[in-house]
Formats: sequence, C-alpha cells, structure tokens
Amino acid sequence: MRDPFSSIRRVLSPGAATVILLAVVSSVLVWRITPSDREGMLFWVFASTHYETYLNTLPKWNQENPDKKVQMHILNGQVLERRMVSGFFSGTPLADVFEIERGLASRAFTGPLEDVGFLDVTDRMRESGFIEQINEPSFSPWMTRGRIFGIPHDVHPVLLAYRSDLVEEAGIDVSQIETWDDFYRVMRPLQKDTNGDGRVDRWLLHAWDTDNEVTQILFYQAGGSYFDDEGEAQLNHPDHAAFLARLTTWIAGPERRATDLAVNAVMSLKQRLAGVVVATLLADWAAGGWKLNMPGLEGKVKLMPIPAWEPGGRRTSVQGGTMIGINRNSPHTEKAWEFAKNLYLSEENTEAIFRKSSIISPIKTMWSLPFYDEPDPYFSGQKMGRMYIEQAPYVPLRPSSPYANMAQQFLGNALMSLRAYADGNGIYDQEQLVPEAQRLLDKAQVRLQREIGRNMFLAKGEES
Amino acid sequence: MSTQSHRTRWNWSPVFFVGPFLLLFSVFVVWPLISSLILAFQQTYGPGTTIWVGFRNFSYLVSDVHFWTAVSNTAIFTLGSLFIQLPVSLGLALLLNHPKLVGRAWLRLIFFSPSLVGLPFVAILFSPIFEKRIGLLNVALHALTGGWWNPEFAWLQEYVMPALILAALWIYAGFNMIYFLAALQNVPKELTEAAEMDGCNAWGRFWHVTLPEIRPVAGFVTLLSVIASFQIFELSLLLLNNIGGESDRGLTIVMYLYQTGFITGDLGYASAVGWVLAMVLMAITLLHRKITKAFDED
Repeated sequence: MRDPFSSIRRVLSPGAATVILLAVVSSVLVWRITPSDREGMLFWVFASTHYETYLNTLPKWNQENPDKKVQMHILNGQVLERRMVSGFFSGTPLADVFEIERGLASRAFTGPLEDVGFLDVTDRMRESGFIEQINEPSFSPWMTRGRIFGIPHDVHPVLLAYRSDLVEEAGIDVSQIETWDDFYRVMRPLQKDTNGDGRVDRWLLHAWDTDNEVTQILFYQAGGSYFDDEGEAQLNHPDHAAFLARLTTWIAGPERRATDLAVNAVMSLKQRLAGVVVATLLADWAAGGWKLNMPGLEGKVKLMPIPAWEPGGRRTSVQGGTMIGINRNSPHTEKAWEFAKNLYLSEENTEAIFRKSSIISPIKTMWSLPFYDEPDPYFSGQKMGRMYIEQAPYVPLRPSSPYANMAQQFLGNALMSLRAYADGNGIYDQEQLVPEAQRLLDKAQVRLQREIGRNMFLAKGEES
Repeated sequence: MSTQSHRTRWNWSPVFFVGPFLLLFSVFVVWPLISSLILAFQQTYGPGTTIWVGFRNFSYLVSDVHFWTAVSNTAIFTLGSLFIQLPVSLGLALLLNHPKLVGRAWLRLIFFSPSLVGLPFVAILFSPIFEKRIGLLNVALHALTGGWWNPEFAWLQEYVMPALILAALWIYAGFNMIYFLAALQNVPKELTEAAEMDGCNAWGRFWHVTLPEIRPVAGFVTLLSVIASFQIFELSLLLLNNIGGESDRGLTIVMYLYQTGFITGDLGYASAVGWVLAMVLMAITLLHRKITKAFDED
C-alpha cells in the first residue's frame, strides 16, 4: 500500500512538518479572533478605591445614558501610564477617558503643546463655569503653558495624624500646639526607647531625607516653590536653604525627632501599628488608605492641622492628585466630556467618593454637604471631612511645570547631601547648616536650568 | 548540454533557508540599530515628534552629571562583580570539585538554584531583607555582632551599590560556579599529580597548574560578567522602586537610558546613551581580546 505522506516526508522531517503545522494552525486561530465587541466608551482607572466607587455609580449612568455607555477597566498605575504614553506617542488604541495621577504630568506635558495627548478642556471649563467653582490649587498640576488638560478630582489637603492613644495616655494636651517647635516640645515625652535596648524606637514624626513625598509636603507648607510666578526655576531661593537646614535638624543629630519607615509596604504598616512613629502627615486620600489597610488603628488616631513653621503660618499642605482626562483622538470626546463632568461634579458621586476613599471634592459649593460633618469612628469620632475642608482653601499652589518632578528630586537630593554633611562634620545647628544648604541648592539650580534649557520643544512653544 | 544548464541554474535553496533569518535580522536588529543611530542625533517627544540636533545629545552627555553618576555606579557594580562574585564562584567550584566532599551533587544544586529564578524575583526577595531595623540582614548582623551592628544601616538608601552587589552575588555566584566547575573537571589529573610529586603545595598547584588550565574559561566568564554587569537594569529598578535611589546612588546606565527614553520620552537622548554604552562594551571586548591574545602568546 502506498504511503500517502511519503512525498511530504521526502521534503520535510517530522519535526519540521510539526512546526509548520503549528504555525499554520496558530495563524488561522489568531486570524479568526475578532476584536471584542466594546459597547460605548472605554474608561481606565488606576486606583482600586476609585474603581470600587465607580462600580456602584456607573450602572446608573449607563442606564440613564444608553448612547454614552461606559466600560471601566482598572489597570496598575504604571501599566496605565506606560500604555497611555505609548498610545499618545505611537497612536496605538487607547481608552477614551482616563483617570491619572499627577506624577504623570511631567511625562505628558514635556512635548509641544499640540502633541499633548489629552483634550484641551480650558474653554469648556470656562464656559461651564467650573473654573470659578473648583478650588484654584487643584488645577495647577493639570495645566501646561496656560492650558487645562483635565478635570481635577480632588484638593488633597494634608493634616497631621497622631496616635491619640499614646498622646492621651501620656496626658499631653495637643491644643497647646501651634508651631513645629510647640509640637516637638509638647510631644517630647513620647520619644523613647520602648524595649530597653538603648536605642530610641518611638519617634515623633514620620519624615526622612529619603522620603521625597514628606519633604515636599513640608516644603509646600513652608511656602516653598520650585518656580517663580514667571515659571523660572528658583530652587536655590534662600528660604529653601533655610528650610532644608531646619529639616535636617529634625532628622539628624542629638535633637533628631523624626524617622523613616520600612520601604516595604507591609512592614511599614506593621511599624505604624507598633507605634514606631507618633505623628504622620496625612492627606485625605491617605486617610482613606489607612482605614482600609490599618483597621487596627481605629479609635487610636486623631487629626489636627499641621503645626505651622512660624506662628500664624499655614496649617496645611498638599499631596498627590488625580484628574480625569479625555483622549484627544477619541471619537467620543463630547460624550466623554459629559461623562467626566457627571463623574466628578455630581453630588451623588461626590458623596460616594468621600465615603469610599475619604477624598473631599474640589468643588467649593459641595463643601457644605452634610455627610462631611459626620463623626468618623476611625479618627476617634472627629469630623474628618470637615477638618480637611476647613484647610482646603489654604492648600498651596503647585507648579504646573513638567519639570516639577525633577525639581522635587533635586530638592530631595540636596536634603540627603545636607544630612550626610551634617553627620560627617557633626554640625547640627540650623544656622551653621544654611551655607552648605545654599551651596547644594545653587548646584541643583544649575542642573535644573540646564535640563529645562535642553528641551527645544518648550523653548519653541515659548517663542510662539 | 544538460551539465551546462545545471551549472547556470540559480540555486534558490540557500536563499530559502537563510531568507527568514535575514528578514527577521534586518527587521528586528539592523533596522532598529540604524533607527537608533539616527535618533541619537535628534531630540524627540515620542517617536513622532523630532527635532534634528546634530551632536548636541552627545555633547550634553559629556557634561551630564546623571549620566556620569550612572557610569560610576555601573563601574562600581562591575568591579564588585569581578572582584567579589568571580572569586566566590571559583572558590565554590574548587570546593564542590573536591572528590571527598560529601553531598557534592546536592550542594551544587543548592548553589546553582538561585539562578533558576529571575532577577525580578531576587529584587522582591531582597527588598525586605535589606530593610532598616526590621530587615533580616540587619537583624541578623545586629544579633551576630552582639549589638555592635547598627540595625538602622540603610542598605537601600545610603549603601545601594553594596546591596546590589550582594543581591547579584546570590543569584550569579552559583551560575558562574558551573562554568568554573566544568573547566576544573577538564584539568588533566596527571598535571596536578605531577606537581604534587614535585613538592607543590595546594596553593602552588592551584596557581601554577589549575589556574593556567582554566584561564580560557575564566576569561570567558570575566567577559560575560562585565557585559552583564554593564547591562544591569531590572535588579536596581525593582529594588529601588523605579528610581535611582537616594542621590541616584543606584542609578545604572541602562536604568538611566530607560528613564530618559521611556519616562521622559526623549528617545533621542536615550539612543545616544545606548550608543555610548555599546561603544564602551565594544571597547571592553576588544581589550579583553588583546589581553587574551597577549597571554596566549606568552
């Protein structure tokens, strides 16, 4: 009997035939796959608390707006960022609407204005009156060269959270605290070696030279600004040198009062629960995170306005920020705008967002809503929402420069170098540290200006 | 007549066999290389928006403090790999090549096993190990030294490069050990026995017999280690949470390339960094070849 495969065998070995067969079958299968039928607009979010909040509100929107249906997907923050930036750069398919974190601004805004991937919503915001309604500092991270590219989601004022159980046990009266000097004086008895090994293991504040976020919160609170009103870098402003010198005395030397926590998230939660730090600078969104991740602290923490740097000074700061942006190339920009407005600016969603994540609305007219006055058992019955809202008008303005992140990094580097200088030379006096702080900031300023000067796209934009 | 036609007929078989490779090589290697060379002379905001800047990227690179910090960190890591990792690998190989050692096979497996996992795993594993105060390493050193070691030792802040070298040592020492082990097993027994009979002690036998015999493999492992060390990326990226660590102490060349190209979107400058790295690696390879040749001529 004649072998039907003999002619194939003469040309191909069994192995080669298998490989070719697999290649053909897989090609056919891939070719047969059709893109999933997506109904309506695609919405990408990165924060799980936001995602869970919207899960409750989206069905109603989809029901009431069958022509503007939205499908929401949650992506890891970095994944969302990479996919979005790649999409902006290369034109690959993207979502119609995204929620993004402020750290992305520097990536999205460094190119020519016409190449920014988000829809310019400046005129829409102006026409709809939202510019007046929204707290002014909330816009700054989402602006570049005078244009607005998203609706702010939040204000993110910062308060000081402290371990009320430890404070009350020690009989300390926090009402005496107005400034940082007061804070360290009044809280001093709480800094101690709790296990008797000769090393301090309870510190008064969570702050460290490597923690750029905390440094930046304190920097803004102290009135620092990386750029002047004309947008010119001013990292080496003398006030900034004084700020760094003072902060260094908190984290180094015999008068050290602050410490860092583990880099590993789980370990740092454990340290907080164990009371390694008495007080932490806490933005509203982070308060929501504490409730979720550290239920063990319920009833053991309280909030207070941040101690001022000088009497009568600012008692709050700002950290983080999210916006909703619309893909400029989306075929549904009008519908996306309607959706974004509803999501961020409706009363119903505002309440849902606060209840789920403790985040207060940037819309000033919403600040009188009654749910902000409810006592919060986590914060020992304090009216947490109202406390954040009371500070919201005083939140400092942040720069909209795409080089803000770089400036933050350079400031952090200067602080690290200053602490190393202090430790290396045994100099822990604030006044004596100022000249070195100034030298370090002068150096950082030169580097920052060089980086900005290298960007020919921004230079071109300014010329035009 | 038929012979003549056979001689002039074009034989397509080589083209058929080499074609797919040539096509893939051209599309995925040659073309990206040419593109990146062109990009190195442009400033970009993503691949779509470019401005021709001539040699500006390279001239900026020369005075770019970040770049030189990255070069210096990478060089430190490479030296650490060469002078710590390779001797440890060779030492392990010598130990595990000893015929009287009990459980040699198991020990070889144990020392080699870290290299079965990827660098991301190593980074995740070592992140809590290097923590201040509560990290395993600090806690262990504090206990072992009777409290002398400061548990606040900041591995991931102030001593990033030692931390990276230690983590890399854990994964690569066993891997390089295998090369050395293979080389040691090829050293002719009669040579070591002759040296022993001539009165050579253990060190003498190693220095005068074993080392010259394994030199080609040692040279190969050294070159591989240098190239791999210059390309270190994932370990530092993951261990330091996507940034270069305190004062850029953990910033490496490839990490800087990644940050410039894929975070700030300046693919032009990133290409310039990439080409400089390629030139450095090429120079090292040529130097290595020269040294090897000189040894061979001796």
